[in-house]
Amino acid sequence: MQPRIRILYWLIAWLFGSLGARAQQSEIDSLLSQRGPYAIVVTAGTGLSYYSTHLGVPPTLEAARVSRFGFPGTIRVMWYPDHRLRVGLETGWTTLYSYRGFIAGERSQVYVSTTPILLMFAMPLGWLTGTERSFARRMSIMGGTGVYIVRSRLNYGNIVNASTYSTGWMAGASYAQPVGRRFRAAVELKWYDAVASENAAFVAEVHLVWRAFSW
Amino acid sequence: MKLYPIWLISLAWLLVVGCRQIYEAPVPYTGPDIPGAGKFTTSIRQSMEGVYSVTDGSDRFGDQMVVKWTYLREGNDTTYYLSMFAGTDATYFSLAGQPQVDSLALAGYWRKLSNTETGLAEFAVQMKHNGQLQNYAGRLATGDTLVISGLYNDDKAKPTRRLTLTYNRPLNPEPFAILAHRSGGRTSDLLPSSENSVEIIKLASRLGATGIEIDVRYTKDGVPILYHDNNLNLRLIQKNGLNGPIEDYTYKQLTNLVRLINGEKIPTLEEALEAVVVNTPLSFVWLDTKYIGPMAPIQAIQRKYRERAAQLGRNVQIVIGIPSTEALASYEALADKTNTPILSELDTAITRTTLNSPIWAPRWTLGPQIDEVRAMQKEGRTVFVWTLDEPQFIREFINESRFDGILSNYSTLVAYHHYTKQ
Repeated sequence: MQPRIRILYWLIAWLFGSLGARAQQSEIDSLLSQRGPYAIVVTAGTGLSYYSTHLGVPPTLEAARVSRFGFPGTIRVMWYPDHRLRVGLETGWTTLYSYRGFIAGERSQVYVSTTPILLMFAMPLGWLTGTERSFARRMSIMGGTGVYIVRSRLNYGNIVNASTYSTGWMAGASYAQPVGRRFRAAVELKWYDAVASENAAFVAEVHLVWRAFSW
Repeated sequence: MKLYPIWLISLAWLLVVGCRQIYEAPVPYTGPDIPGAGKFTTSIRQSMEGVYSVTDGSDRFGDQMVVKWTYLREGNDTTYYLSMFAGTDATYFSLAGQPQVDSLALAGYWRKLSNTETGLAEFAVQMKHNGQLQNYAGRLATGDTLVISGLYNDDKAKPTRRLTLTYNRPLNPEPFAILAHRSGGRTSDLLPSSENSVEIIKLASRLGATGIEIDVRYTKDGVPILYHDNNLNLRLIQKNGLNGPIEDYTYKQLTNLVRLINGEKIPTLEEALEAVVVNTPLSFVWLDTKYIGPMAPIQAIQRKYRERAAQLGRNVQIVIGIPSTEALASYEALADKTNTPILSELDTAITRTTLNSPIWAPRWTLGPQIDEVRAMQKEGRTVFVWTLDEPQFIREFINESRFDGILSNYSTLVAYHHYTKQ
């Protein structure tokens, strides 16, 4: 592992470890005789993505047209414990970019998309008892690491569908507005970075957050 | 104390430093403007080759260097290059004569393959006669010594640091195959050309190679091409969004949409062998079987370019590597095995009996295998070892083992240790 990547992983571990430790050291936790409540929260959303790093269009392509925008979809399942650090899994799908043009008069098109499979950590910025009345409690930051499945689809002469795996990470922030006892509507900004394949996208989404189970 | 600012700063820091560091070593020299040898006649070139002691500059390049000429043919033009190999950091110099200068002047660049150091260099060839430096005109009297003196510097900076080489002895004349891996060297070593490209084949002899190993695969439509890995990936190609097995793509798709790291096309096997036979002094080509499929198309190309080499009066050995039992099965399935030289990477029993291969190539991790190597050589077989990159082992294998050649990603180091061997 490259030294910088190693530092990165240790820093992420320290960051979330310290956040979790601090969350568990709160007065509430120390006074409670029983743990809980716990919840499984399912989030689904969609929005707009923008491919935010360099992309390579072959110089042989004439009249090349590039699109960096896509319509992502996200599904996330998180465990909300009785402290602030939440953990879960995120997946989904988003277009990364596409380009098309002509080579010697023949149409050529390349489309690249990705499916993240990420171990997620999230934490609200504030922690208050009672109802969610604090803006800080409605704001969350999140980060994750895992694998991106990067797919390419070439249409030139014949169609070639291919995929590869790329390690990567994500970071983001969200605001969730209560719309009912079990539901929240959220807006989320996040950065997907498939490091090994040098793909990165900025994503803005609206989410429906459903507290599916609690105990 | 609120820790949020620290967390946010940490996150921002992660975003900044989380990016992968990019290593680059762009060579600050594009080659001579005019082909030819300049003032370096054949006799002058021959007299210059040898092992030189390094005085000024030994702190950077070690205390001795190998000086050897090579050439590149392009059409009717032949350009001669002087290569210098040092024992430290797999260093090489690639220099060309300066026809516009009215003396024996050379200019070019140097590179250390074990790191990213590179720079410009320029030299003049002189002789020391009665203790005095004089211009060299091709005639050396008894007691005269050749001196290559000049300047070098880092990156694109004008050369200002002294480097002086004094002729010490002739090159080790023993025949020895210096085989360059992946057509000349790895892309990851930041060479000026990408691995398995026509351009690195043309560079290979300047890196000290006398032969090359090339990686052969088939495209989806059955065209044999040069490519090492199973998949299109950013280690080998410029970013274009495409990924997946290279065998899924047709030759038309690859040649029009894919460029190797330094911008070259993925060559066909025929383009590669044409370059070897027509453009370079390379005398050995090892076709490494990376493909799954029939061997007959490769055999046909092998025969075609062996004939082409013979027509051009060149002695070029082109052999098909048999690295696995799958390749062995492909070879055995050939209808006609005559006029099809092979190289066996399998054990000595299969090499002797099943294949009767004239060349045996064990991996270097099996050690010097002195008894086995001698036995195979007694039977008239040639023995190469692959893929040896550790400087210490290169030196030991050259000085203490009995191999007929070494396949390496650092042909510069193999050349240095072979030619300096006493």
